[in-house]
Amino acid sequence: MSADPDILMLKGISKAFPGVQALEGATLCVAAGEVHGLVGENGAGKSTIIKIIAGVYDRDAGTMSIDGRHFDHVSPQGVHDAGVRFIHQELHLVPHFTVAESVFMGQEVTGKFGLKRKTMRLRAEAFLRDVLNTRISGDTLIRDLGIAERKLVQIARALIDDEAKIVVFDEPTAPLASSEIEQVFQAIRGLQERGIAMIYVSHYLGEITDICDRVTVFRNGRDVAVLDEVTEDSSDSIIRHMVGRDIEALYPEIHHKVGEPVLEVAGLGDGRKFFGVDLTVGKGELVGIAGLIGSGREELTDTIYGLNQPTTGTMTMDGVPNRFASPADAVGKGIVLVPRDRRHDGLVLDFTVADNINLASLEQVAVSILEDRSAAAKRAEKLAEQIDIRPRDPDAIARFLSGGNQQKVVLARWLATGAKLFILDEPTVGVDIGAKVEIYQLIEKLTAQGAGVIVSSSDPAELLGICDRIVVMLRGRVVANEAARSLTLDSLTALTTHSNPAEVLA
Amino acid sequence: MTSRTAREPRRFGVPSLSAMAGYLPLVIFVCLLGYLSVVSSNFLTFPTFDLILRQAVPTTIVCLGLSIVVMAGGDDVVSGGIDLSIPAVAVLAAAIIADQLTNHAASLAVALPLALMAALLVGAVNAMLVVRIGMTPLLATLSTSVAVVGIVKVVTSSRRINVDHPAVVWLRDGTIGGVSSGVVLTLVFFGVFFFIAHRTRWGLNLQAVGGSRDAAEVSGIPVSRFVALSFIIAGFAGGLAAMFILARGSGSTPGTEENLLLEMVLATFLGSAFSPRRVVTLWGAILGAVLVSALSIGFKSIGVNVFWTGCIKGALILIVVASASLSAKFDRRKTAI
Repeated sequence: MSADPDILMLKGISKAFPGVQALEGATLCVAAGEVHGLVGENGAGKSTIIKIIAGVYDRDAGTMSIDGRHFDHVSPQGVHDAGVRFIHQELHLVPHFTVAESVFMGQEVTGKFGLKRKTMRLRAEAFLRDVLNTRISGDTLIRDLGIAERKLVQIARALIDDEAKIVVFDEPTAPLASSEIEQVFQAIRGLQERGIAMIYVSHYLGEITDICDRVTVFRNGRDVAVLDEVTEDSSDSIIRHMVGRDIEALYPEIHHKVGEPVLEVAGLGDGRKFFGVDLTVGKGELVGIAGLIGSGREELTDTIYGLNQPTTGTMTMDGVPNRFASPADAVGKGIVLVPRDRRHDGLVLDFTVADNINLASLEQVAVSILEDRSAAAKRAEKLAEQIDIRPRDPDAIARFLSGGNQQKVVLARWLATGAKLFILDEPTVGVDIGAKVEIYQLIEKLTAQGAGVIVSSSDPAELLGICDRIVVMLRGRVVANEAARSLTLDSLTALTTHSNPAEVLA
Repeated sequence: MTSRTAREPRRFGVPSLSAMAGYLPLVIFVCLLGYLSVVSSNFLTFPTFDLILRQAVPTTIVCLGLSIVVMAGGDDVVSGGIDLSIPAVAVLAAAIIADQLTNHAASLAVALPLALMAALLVGAVNAMLVVRIGMTPLLATLSTSVAVVGIVKVVTSSRRINVDHPAVVWLRDGTIGGVSSGVVLTLVFFGVFFFIAHRTRWGLNLQAVGGSRDAAEVSGIPVSRFVALSFIIAGFAGGLAAMFILARGSGSTPGTEENLLLEMVLATFLGSAFSPRRVVTLWGAILGAVLVSALSIGFKSIGVNVFWTGCIKGALILIVVASASLSAKFDRRKTAI
């Protein structure tokens, strides 16, 4: 090895956004012909450093060099010319284009008589075959391909000009079924043989240990560890570095009395995103659903709520077999879902706080057809006080409240309905710590009323802090259903990232 | 990789719901034409066929323009690319030519460029409304269409203008190699449009823009420029159609745009059923235009009331557009990630 084997070097990179220090002296070095894993929890700074490499953000401090050449200022065109390619998580393909048309999109080969379709087809097929180790006809339409094959087409499009030296993969396997992952890995190995340096960003630690030669772990904007040798056993030490030991004590004491089951779900599946899910929620119980984005959590809760219809399985509500035809049906039978994107799904932004709170329970304040304005106002005022919405003004317009307060309005609305089961999807995303604590206290009030609560969240610490029981989903299946106190941050992270379920549960 | 919970890989081989929904309008059309050829004894004769082709000329030309817009904007019926103003533009250009030739005794060398310039101007206005201001193409072009029809009424005082200029007469009655001159010229235009849209890099990029704006953007294709150009081309097609409208009606008649709009939308979206990819193509559009023309003439030949013909065409548009929506819906379900 020469003195300087790394083709891409970022050293001492810092980047601050208003209110957040996203990166603080982070270092990332990648050698030619290696697959370099980049891991860390959400907010650790992975995507920020990738965007700095891409020239999307300017760094505040630090140096960056590609192939020994220093980059003082990085522009997207500049890094492209230097041979850096990005494989985004989104496929960005036209469904009714052929493979050849897609690979050459924006860089078509033309001759005197227009497009050289045959040349393009042959070159696309050759590249897929020789470099990416896969056989796909260049005339196939994208919409007839499996997702893994589409991913390979996307990779081929980025690399067909043969000038790539460094390729950054952002969660390349996230939308794939397990059986399709190997196909993408073969392509990555093919690129490796050609001496291309690769950065592999993923939450799936099992894949990181499979495919990567080295791994850099980010935490709180720094590179806390670089593993020079990665084996199957590396995931424990990766998780230790990822998680650290700094969880704030912001969770309430748990002392739930769990009663009769409110909801029992058996073998539920939609045939596409989740399969054979068993789940029971008792009265006064708080059940967490853990899993990465794309693990099927969202689809599961949407289906329970009646937004989608399951293809398999049964649901029992209060001992009565039931399946909800629509959200209106679910609400009528006492199930409430507080959606993850409250701005879009949860709130009428231009309504006042009071109107938003009353939205779900109009029938309780309506006199025949007409709404009883004064009763509604009183009720809303009482609730707003109870949940401590600031400013404490029922006539404030929802749009101008902070995220935490918006979430409280949504919760208040459903609190008022006296539902039996609450499904909260990412209840604290984008709210500050103070509001988080208040939301946790509100959730406690729900369980104290005897309601069953499901919290679906991508934050393992949050689930460990507030739940009685945690169900872990991975690629559409339940891989664990454990009492929260028997899990640790390490073991829960290992389960959601699929580093090695057998070992963790043993 | 040993204990990974496997999900069954999904293959999409079976003739899908989306494909069936896509072909439904075509099946209905063929049935209708079959019915007509049984009921009407002279439907399957050469004179009728010749008439069908000649009647299809203006529709075909505006369809070429609409196809380009749909290619650049995507074939989502509501939010995708559409230009409802092309027929109005064609009628405006026809009125300008008629007014110049007949009322001002101007030469064709003056009248034609004037009309084409007006057509391009409306196209540019559409492009600006959609690309700069960000209006939905449907609403933007609906508004310009109404405005343009208003201008036509001002120019012509809502009256018919007869035209007996030799060029117009030649387009109506003349032949090239035994085939109607209008039909031959239309084929030439089609050839030019076809080469540009389906055989050049520009055309493929145009389709990429309509297929997935994001995909085109990450591939470095200037999306807005393509969308804007598509509307200008559509305006140009409207201008081209003007001469043939004059030939077909021996002059400019107010109200021509209504039927033309109906036939244009019907033919263009019906045409996507001919495409193996089930998207709007120029081939599809030209075949669609001929089918629609055949239907109109068939109904006329068996003595169906004109107003009923309008009703039937309206219903067919509904079926074509609904099946396009259905088809897209099934496709989305299938390809959702």
